[in-house]
Amino acid sequence: MQDGDVIRLDGVTKTYQAGAPPALADLSLDVAAGEVVAVMGPSGSGKSTLLNLIAGLDRPTAGTVTVAGRRLDNLGESGLARFRARHVGIIFQFFNLLDDLTVEDNVLLPAQLAGASRRTARARAGELLERMGIEEHRDDYPARLSGGQRQRVAIARALVNSPELLLADEPTGALDTATGLAIGRLLQQLNEAGQTMVLVTHDPALAERYAARTVRIVDGQLAGAGVPA
Amino acid sequence: MSSPARSWLGAVRTASGGMLRHKVQAVAIGLVLLVSTASATLGLALLAASNTPFTHAFSAQNGSDVTVTVNSARAGPAALAATRGLGGVTAAAGPFAESTVQAQFGGQPFGQLTLAGRASPSGPVDDVVLNAGHWPDGPGQVVLDGTPGGGPALGGRLAVTGVPGAPALVVVGFGNSVTNTADGWVTPGEIGRLQAPGVPPSAQMLYRFTHAASYAEVRADVAEVTGALPPQAVTGAASWLAAENASAGNGAIMEPFVVAFALIGLAMAVLIVGNVVSGAVVAGYQRIGVLKSVGLTPAQVVLAYLSRVGWPALAGCLIGVVAGNVLAIPVLQNSAGAYGVGSQQVPLWASVAAPLGMLILVGLAGFGPALRAGRLSAAEAIAAGRAPRAGHGYAAHRLAARLRLPRPVGLGLAAPYARPARTAVTLAAIAFGATAVIFAFGLNSSLSRAAASQTHSATAPVRVGQFGPGNGPGQTPSAAQDAAVPAALSDVPGTLHSVALYGNQVKVPGIAGNVDAQAFGGDASWIGYGIIAGRWYDAPGEVDVNTAFLSQSGLAVGDTVTVDTGTGPPAQVTVRIVGEVFHPDNQPVLFGSTQTLPGLAGAANLREYYVSLRPGVSTAGYVQAVNGALGPRSPWQAISQHDGGQFYSIASDLVGLLALMVAVAAGLGVLNTVLMTTRDRVHDLGVFKSLGMRPGQVLTMVVAWVAGPAVLAAAIAAPAAVALNTATVRAMAGTAHTGIPAAFTQVFPPSRLAVLSLAAVAIAVAGALLPATWAARSRPAVALHAE
Repeated sequence: MQDGDVIRLDGVTKTYQAGAPPALADLSLDVAAGEVVAVMGPSGSGKSTLLNLIAGLDRPTAGTVTVAGRRLDNLGESGLARFRARHVGIIFQFFNLLDDLTVEDNVLLPAQLAGASRRTARARAGELLERMGIEEHRDDYPARLSGGQRQRVAIARALVNSPELLLADEPTGALDTATGLAIGRLLQQLNEAGQTMVLVTHDPALAERYAARTVRIVDGQLAGAGVPA
Repeated sequence: MSSPARSWLGAVRTASGGMLRHKVQAVAIGLVLLVSTASATLGLALLAASNTPFTHAFSAQNGSDVTVTVNSARAGPAALAATRGLGGVTAAAGPFAESTVQAQFGGQPFGQLTLAGRASPSGPVDDVVLNAGHWPDGPGQVVLDGTPGGGPALGGRLAVTGVPGAPALVVVGFGNSVTNTADGWVTPGEIGRLQAPGVPPSAQMLYRFTHAASYAEVRADVAEVTGALPPQAVTGAASWLAAENASAGNGAIMEPFVVAFALIGLAMAVLIVGNVVSGAVVAGYQRIGVLKSVGLTPAQVVLAYLSRVGWPALAGCLIGVVAGNVLAIPVLQNSAGAYGVGSQQVPLWASVAAPLGMLILVGLAGFGPALRAGRLSAAEAIAAGRAPRAGHGYAAHRLAARLRLPRPVGLGLAAPYARPARTAVTLAAIAFGATAVIFAFGLNSSLSRAAASQTHSATAPVRVGQFGPGNGPGQTPSAAQDAAVPAALSDVPGTLHSVALYGNQVKVPGIAGNVDAQAFGGDASWIGYGIIAGRWYDAPGEVDVNTAFLSQSGLAVGDTVTVDTGTGPPAQVTVRIVGEVFHPDNQPVLFGSTQTLPGLAGAANLREYYVSLRPGVSTAGYVQAVNGALGPRSPWQAISQHDGGQFYSIASDLVGLLALMVAVAAGLGVLNTVLMTTRDRVHDLGVFKSLGMRPGQVLTMVVAWVAGPAVLAAAIAAPAAVALNTATVRAMAGTAHTGIPAAFTQVFPPSRLAVLSLAAVAIAVAGALLPATWAARSRPAVALHAE
């Protein structure tokens, strides 16, 4: 692992059921700080599994996963939770906002769980909501927002703890084209500000437009890597 | 098999498949039904047992309508046998030789025992039920009336005093005669050895008559027997009515709290079962929608859903009824001892009604939601019941977010508002459970105070009573023997207070029959009688009375009354009633000083001495010292007064058992609710975890789900339990024909009530902990994709 790497996967295998083909097989991958890597592949290829392992949502069956300088494969559940709270922000295809919390409370939540002071967390949330252009919706509930606005809330929530790594699972998959483009541009701006990102997507255009590098996974193995034209 | 039958069975199999995928919920349904059914079975059995225990036992054991004691020197076996053929006699047993003896156990007086010589416990009349051990089959063996405990155990040796050789009897068993025909039984040949010199031989005949329902009929029956025997052959007769009266008090006293617990248990069962079943049905709407989309008919859906909850419910009910019967065995055995009615069993109808009632309850609780599921279209069913309706609980979350609480706590506290109906049921279950626990503690305290007040064991731990023949005329104590008692109490170090109690029957206008007058030879205020109204007497001319006295005379505290002591002078004294004291008894009792009740302070009326000890003095050592001072030949013996009695011990055990069962059922109700909520919110839990919520924080949040309802439940349960305790204790006192001192119900000082109220939190946390742990351990990746 080079000094500038935020992510390093070394010989990672993930098997869900004994005897079944592995979801990921002996996969190795490095992502440098400030890099945007798009992960592409057909359904069931292992993209989400890869994302889960990088996010510390799951553990590999074999191999090592190192993110932001921490070995995740030997951390306990509490250690993984602390890691997620402080070092990783996750954006989901279907936003995964909590319907019964306001926009602001959704954004504040990771900071509160990580033990940030109330004042600091609110200031950071306010800054992010403004940056995402949704500050006027801070007291609204997610159900009242459009898809694009919800994804902006999700991005703000993912960034509230200033993570080294932003993981996005089909971030535009549930959005119309125009909104998807807007979200894409937002992610691009974040990267330009130095944010390391891994994008899981089916959309070659998104990968081509915003990712510095694309890795393809087929049947749990890297099928090739390249730099988008 | 025909095609329709196959399709119906298919529906059931489909449901079973669903059930197997929700093992924990199936187990929760089964356990709640198990506890509820066991509780209901026990409750019904106790209700039946406390309702008419004597009648049942009298019938089962062929109780003796009349037990006639005869001088067998005047009426021989032939004459007695002839009485079997009397017109009204339907069955007879005997003659059984009997002897009344004085006994000692462990060197201490054991009282007077009437022993009957019987070759077998069974017979056409008065089947003696053996509670332990075996029937005497050789010399020197005795079966005592009652159950083991509090006195000699199996193998214990009793020394019979007052007969040549002071023979020993080894306790080989404990039995119970429903009509108390004897205090113990030995082999027929043993009686001769137990006969005191100069005392005429006696025997008992046990009869059942065609008509013996009233005292008048019993008197006529006794007269018939007496007339058929030589003059003065009959020396005594005991009626079954007297035995019934004696048993009625204890049995009836238990009814109020058994009813209270049975009602709590029933309400709990309705709530929990309804919640479990409705929750299971609602949680399965999506599945049923899918099944409907592939062709299940509405009727099959209803069947599938009912069978889904039905199998675990049936299993729970069946195991529960067995558990209820098993639990009832020791309880009924004890209560039978308290009632003095021999053996008691769980009635068959209780073993049928409890599980059947619970299954009907399950059916009713499940039918509505199942019918709704059947009527929904496939698409509606898939959409229904997946999540709380939008809008519920949002304000609570908003408020919780503003509170300066750890975020998981705030999230947990606000969560119940998303499902108000489910939360209300959870709250009610916790409230019922906590009420039962607080009520149990309160009732136990009330009963302890009643026991202490009735026995005075705390204030007067030593009594000196007459347990043997004296040197005076007619084996009464001589003046010297009487005088030795106060001397011994004065000489033996450790005496704090002592007072002589004299007693005799007196007459009071307005009260039919006698009044038991108890006169103390000195200050008796330290004995600490429980004062229901007024105060303890402290001057000549003042008396206290029990509740039966007031209710039978129509007098009240403050009234004056003329007492005819039959002795004197003067024979008649006017006294003022200054207080009503706690002394449960059907018979009116009057307490005063010997100055107030002249003539009672005679040697013939001396009953016993109450003694209190200085702090730190050993009761056993003191008793030994007093008895040493009195000497082995003294009719007076010191004994220690033990707290409570069998009734209080049984009541305490019962209260504890019932409260535990209700609390367990409440905890299971909470477990089920939290489990359902965890399932509902599994995706949210995944999101929380993905955002960095640690397992400990998840655990805290899930436990906090029930914290709010628990606090509210505690606020409801505390006053409810206080009111229930007061009402129950009053009802119990009413059945015992006594009022109660206010102190008996004032058993909940605020600090204690606050601590006891934590039972609600304990039940809630105990119920939530298991599903909270599962939620905390779940892998976030799995939870995120589990919906």
